[in-house]
Amino acid sequence: MSPFRTVPLGIAAVTLVATLWLAGTASTSAPVHAEANGSPALLTDPQVVGMRRLTEAQYRNSIADIFGSDIRVAGRFEPIVRPAHQLIASGARSSAITPSGLEQFDAMAREIARQVFDEEHRAQFTACVPADPAGADASCAGRTLAPLGRLLFRRPLSEQELALYVRIAGEGAGPTRSFAKGLELALGAMLVSPLFLYVVETAQPDPVRPGVMRLDDNSRAARLSFMLWNSAPNAALLDAAAAGRLTDQPQLAATVRRMVASPRFEQGLRAFFSDMLLFEKFDELAKDPVIYPYFNQDVLQALPEQMLRTITTQLLDGDGDYRELFTTRKTWMNRALGALYRVPVSQSQGWVPYEFTAESDRSGLLGLAGFLAMYSHSGRSSPTLRGRAIRELLLCQPVPNPPGNVNFTAVQDTGNKAMPTARIRLDAHTTDPVCAGCHKITDPIGLPLERFDGIGGFRTFENEAAIDVSGEMDDTRFTGGDGLGKAIAASKDATLCVTSRALEYATGRPSEDGELIERLEGGFAAQGYRLRQLIETIASLPQTYEVPTESIKAGTTLVATRR
Amino acid sequence: MDRGKTGLGLMCGGAAIGVAALMALTGSLSMEAPARAEAPPRALPAPPPGGVMGFVVQDFVPPVIQGMDACPKGTSPKVRDIYLASLPADERARLERKENEPELTKRWQATVFGADGTNICSQPDKFDRPLLATVQSADAGGLDLDGDAPGESCSHEEFTAPDGRTGIDNQEYRVMGCTLEWRGKDGIGGDLLTGMRQFHASGEWTQVILLRGVDSLENDDDVEVIYANTPDRPQLDSHGNFLPGYSFTISDKPPRHRNALHGHIVGGVLVTDAQDIKLAQTWGQGGARDIRGARTAYDFRHAKLRLAFQPDGSLRGLVGGYRPVFDVIQSPAIGGAGAALAAGIDCAGTLATLRKYADGIRDPKTGACSGVSSAMNLYAVPAFINDVPAPSARIAPAGTAHAGNKTL
Repeated sequence: MSPFRTVPLGIAAVTLVATLWLAGTASTSAPVHAEANGSPALLTDPQVVGMRRLTEAQYRNSIADIFGSDIRVAGRFEPIVRPAHQLIASGARSSAITPSGLEQFDAMAREIARQVFDEEHRAQFTACVPADPAGADASCAGRTLAPLGRLLFRRPLSEQELALYVRIAGEGAGPTRSFAKGLELALGAMLVSPLFLYVVETAQPDPVRPGVMRLDDNSRAARLSFMLWNSAPNAALLDAAAAGRLTDQPQLAATVRRMVASPRFEQGLRAFFSDMLLFEKFDELAKDPVIYPYFNQDVLQALPEQMLRTITTQLLDGDGDYRELFTTRKTWMNRALGALYRVPVSQSQGWVPYEFTAESDRSGLLGLAGFLAMYSHSGRSSPTLRGRAIRELLLCQPVPNPPGNVNFTAVQDTGNKAMPTARIRLDAHTTDPVCAGCHKITDPIGLPLERFDGIGGFRTFENEAAIDVSGEMDDTRFTGGDGLGKAIAASKDATLCVTSRALEYATGRPSEDGELIERLEGGFAAQGYRLRQLIETIASLPQTYEVPTESIKAGTTLVATRR
Repeated sequence: MDRGKTGLGLMCGGAAIGVAALMALTGSLSMEAPARAEAPPRALPAPPPGGVMGFVVQDFVPPVIQGMDACPKGTSPKVRDIYLASLPADERARLERKENEPELTKRWQATVFGADGTNICSQPDKFDRPLLATVQSADAGGLDLDGDAPGESCSHEEFTAPDGRTGIDNQEYRVMGCTLEWRGKDGIGGDLLTGMRQFHASGEWTQVILLRGVDSLENDDDVEVIYANTPDRPQLDSHGNFLPGYSFTISDKPPRHRNALHGHIVGGVLVTDAQDIKLAQTWGQGGARDIRGARTAYDFRHAKLRLAFQPDGSLRGLVGGYRPVFDVIQSPAIGGAGAALAAGIDCAGTLATLRKYADGIRDPKTGACSGVSSAMNLYAVPAFINDVPAPSARIAPAGTAHAGNKTL
């Protein structure tokens, strides 16, 4: 195996073990089993208090921001497992990388490094002219790799670290007779390092509150950048960290204010809602093409995008009320979705703004095909899945899983003329008291959406029987999607839920502090439920950067709810 | 349509969106036989708000009536069979023996070519070939094209349509109706239906119909009809049928083929006034210099639409008009010698027969006709049609278009 093959992986393994060793109990996983036969002390100070693995989007955004959007990132990303009833942002804190996953990262790292130092791009990133283009030049390599390392590791490289990568560059330049190839090898090693693949959070004692640890400036820069822009911190933010401005409360608040006012905040908001609404499930969404001929790849790709456009239009473009996400009729449409919704779309390509009619019964996110198709079966709608999703995702009210021995025959028999509608079939199914308990929680808020079939197409009849769309939520009775949307918009659970999710997204752990969430929700309400303001508040909050004294119990559901 | 109305439906960026009455269309998704001209409309839906309806054409095929009446001797012989028929019986029997197949092939294929590298499909005028066997029955799908302008036609026999309409002009069917390409090998004709549907699904031939000012699907004396091509590709279900409800934009690139017609509805059937209609016709996929992507056109002169509204919201009927005789053999002529050698098509014989039975596009000086009456069965499903107005610069200068042609 050539040095190009072994060096980066070896460095990655050594660094990963060293980092995990230093992280102590902050990480519960041991991703790579390799002997630390080199010096483990790549991180000595300050104290590592947590590690969060980059998501695929964060990895891609980081590469695009650091090296340019013309650098292609091709490869398979090992998914981060979502803990039950939590965000992927929380799962990232305990996400391992398997050996095969590391090989994928290694392949991607090599390809990225090759592009960065190819003839077309190398001038942008090489800080100096090497003394000999066909050999090693430690000085020039150091001047080139130091700024790149700072952006990739989200902090300045230590002297030890820089010396390591300069050495790799030198060892690569020798056999290849190419200074650029040496840099390519060193960059590949950086890109496969856990210090890049994981956001390593470090802490320092809080000078104001003795005994309390808080994230240091560099970790705050990374947290802010990934929370608000879903990408690595840029040089300006790292400069602010170096100057100590992110641990100074007024300067932190000013920085946050600028970041949420930036157009790049949309990228961060999209990432937050993709996490909160479980958009990873779109990767697995499939429908029976005979039953739903309008469901195809174009529609599948458009479903999450329509939801995100609806969200950003409501919450950013108009700085609108979060609650109106459940009542707005304004959305976006493209040709593929137009046929599903049976509405005209003037442009052959791209998206056009669209407003549903009052007769459509489509209110906000719950009236969009993305939600309706996601929470249906492959060949039929499901009031239970929809009701459960509303409870869990939008109201943060976990619903227990069904027991393993349930008889689903009645609900699956959609062609039974004696039980023509889902409501009738569910009534038959829930005669079993074991089932009835949970279905009472889910079905009354899922049945009002029965005018929408398994892909979100409108209908008024099922098996030639008129569909009853009456529903109930927390003693409030209503009809149809419109009534459901209004009920959710009026529910304090919905605003408490998004508040707790935003806090969890920021810190990477579900918050146990119900009082803090109530207080944040109160401020959210006072600001007219403007989510931009809520996230700004959370990002400026000292508690967001506090290091908890006790590690979170794995598997515990910690979400704010009034129950 | 009331003359005072604009007839436009939803306006969006200066474009009118045709809103079809999208009904439950489960029934219309099944494979339709092309032969029946139209079914008597029953329980038609109410006209849509704004009077705007849109459709995308799924089926556009010759109205072949299957059965032995039309061609009692079977389909027309191919070049190989024509050659054999020209030989004395003994010689024919000898060549038909298996061991003499190479010799037969060499000899019949030689008849495809003439002097100077000519062949019967690329230069059909240079060859004197026997005429094709024609349809013998008195029944044909089509329209009465000369009823309102008999002076423009040449002498011909007329057919009766399957629905009882008389005076049907369809000399193209008379000539082509016994060819294997039209009639099919198995008497079903499904290959043509499937093949033409694939062409129309490609986005190169795709046709759309936009109706404006529809006050009633039963009777309306004033309807604007736009019959045009679109570059947008239809979406198909798992059976290959076009899915209703998609949006299409009328082509805004020349040659635009946007035919603006005037029609009236009587008893649930829309009929347009006679007018020239041009529609895109692309043979295969490929660049303009590649014969596989040769761009030609359907050129229907003095043409009409006759379309019956269906209870499920679809349209079923015919487009008919006079076509220049050479247009009928456009496809094999583009194919050249290959069409004769591989498919056995006798372009020269076909062209000669078409000329003999030509009944339209009459030269007022000589009185000779250079076109044949023609018809295509048409089935269209509801769609949203986005009509982009043409820039005035694209309007053809006066005198360059055929009389009455409003194609932009």
